[in-house]
Amino acid sequence: MAESAASHATAHGGSRRDFLTLLTAATGAVAAGTILWPVIDALNPDAASEGAAHLIVNVSDIAENTAKTVQWGGLPVTIRKLTAKETLDNQAVVPSSLPDPASFTDRVNAGYPSFVVVIGLNTAVPCALEGDSPAEPRGDFDGWVCPCDGSEYDPLGRVRKGPATKNLAIPRYTFINAAQIQLG
Amino acid sequence: MTTQAKEPWAATRLPYLGALCATFCQKTRAPGASYFEVLPFLISITAAFLTLSGIVLAVYYNPWHAFDSVQFIDRNVNNGWLIHAYHATGTTMIFGLTYIYLFRAILTRSYRAPGEWVWMLSVKLLAVLLLTGWLGYVLTGGAAGYWSLFNASNVALSLGGLPGAVGVWFFGGPAGGGTLARLEVFHVFLAASLLLVVWLIHASRKTIAAPAPARAVAFYPYYLAQYFAALAVFAFIFVVLAFYAPHLGTSHFNRIPAESLAVPVGAGVPWYLAPAAGLIGAFSSTGLSIFAVIAAAAVLYALPWLDRSGANGAKGKLYGFFIWVLALDVLALGLTVHGGCPYAATLAGVFTAWFFFHFLVITPLVTAMEAE
Repeated sequence: MAESAASHATAHGGSRRDFLTLLTAATGAVAAGTILWPVIDALNPDAASEGAAHLIVNVSDIAENTAKTVQWGGLPVTIRKLTAKETLDNQAVVPSSLPDPASFTDRVNAGYPSFVVVIGLNTAVPCALEGDSPAEPRGDFDGWVCPCDGSEYDPLGRVRKGPATKNLAIPRYTFINAAQIQLG
Repeated sequence: MTTQAKEPWAATRLPYLGALCATFCQKTRAPGASYFEVLPFLISITAAFLTLSGIVLAVYYNPWHAFDSVQFIDRNVNNGWLIHAYHATGTTMIFGLTYIYLFRAILTRSYRAPGEWVWMLSVKLLAVLLLTGWLGYVLTGGAAGYWSLFNASNVALSLGGLPGAVGVWFFGGPAGGGTLARLEVFHVFLAASLLLVVWLIHASRKTIAAPAPARAVAFYPYYLAQYFAALAVFAFIFVVLAFYAPHLGTSHFNRIPAESLAVPVGAGVPWYLAPAAGLIGAFSSTGLSIFAVIAAAAVLYALPWLDRSGANGAKGKLYGFFIWVLALDVLALGLTVHGGCPYAATLAGVFTAWFFFHFLVITPLVTAMEAE
């Protein structure tokens, strides 16, 4: 058997057995993959978890000069709509004069510059910020203020007064359209 | 050791690897082995498959909301329905394979010396499988599983002395979330020990295998091809069952959630537990039932010594006939659990009596008679 297989191999550059072995191995690999894939895929998040991880937020109901905070991935995500005056004022600020330099374009989406999307947690001590509504204390820079340590942020979420030294974090997000933001 | 020759790098650093493979790899074998010799291999494959699907189920299973979490797996988890069907069908298949394997060992009388140790491991395999299977059935949180657990745990908690203490330790209280939480752990632990028993069966079978004759056949590729052919048939049956009858032979009441004040009428045990349940149901007293289960395991264990024909004695046709009768008897014992037959308890008693009569009287007498 082995001798005849070897002679076939020399005669035709590849024996019948080589072909059958390859065929068996290939079929086996496909079968193993087909069996394993559902098992691996089952450990992926289900549709509900997937939806929560890519939360879609309606921003059309946010009035100018107010912000809305939603829970996403255990974090308070704050979306604020700027007034024309706030936009102009903050565009005029020289970044190098700030504790954590960042320009206007660093802080907003170029296509939708009136929306600021930040994580509403103070960067010094993790404490929820006040200032979403104009009725709440907003500090000297008309942004947010931390009720725990008194750090102050401007409407773009840039730190203006300590003890915090870092700007508010910006989550990963995309504008689906002018009315909807998808987080994550 | 070929493994060391093939893998000098790993084998020189951990010689145990080569030795481990050598405990069950048979490079050459006598030609003409039966396809049934493949059964332990298929049992191992199924056990590995059950472990794989069981890991996924364990990720999402919640004993405190057992039924709801199974529904969540079936409806929300990606391919969860398929994993559940895999696990259920794997159970059917591993029990089927094990019953056939044990029956064949009795029929071919491979339990005789030097096969006693393999035989005892095989009985152990069935015992661990039965307990693991019952736990898995109970874990579904369905009405049938709940009432099975309700009866078993209440009986165990009402016992006195050592059996009662073991029962309290095992169940930890009456049927409920806390019981299922611990039974889930026992299910996983027993499944792991099942893998160990399967491994030991392989290793012991290698040890007692007859030395390869002069005209031996290499395992690769000849016997491997036979294994693959058997695996293909097995996989075909598995797939048909998994897609068309994933919950074959289990009670429909497990499709509704457990309700502690509504007893489902006629909720039987799954088919693979039926013979054991018939044995238990043949007695009205709990103590006798427990004794019968232990005694049934004991006579199976003792079979190599109850067979008086000796290691190389003749295998007579009469005893072969009685083995087939025993198979029918065990089948009938299982059937007494299901139907609404008014004589079910009496019939179960008769079939149980025959089971013990077969092993304790027929086996020693007929084998001794035929060996002469």
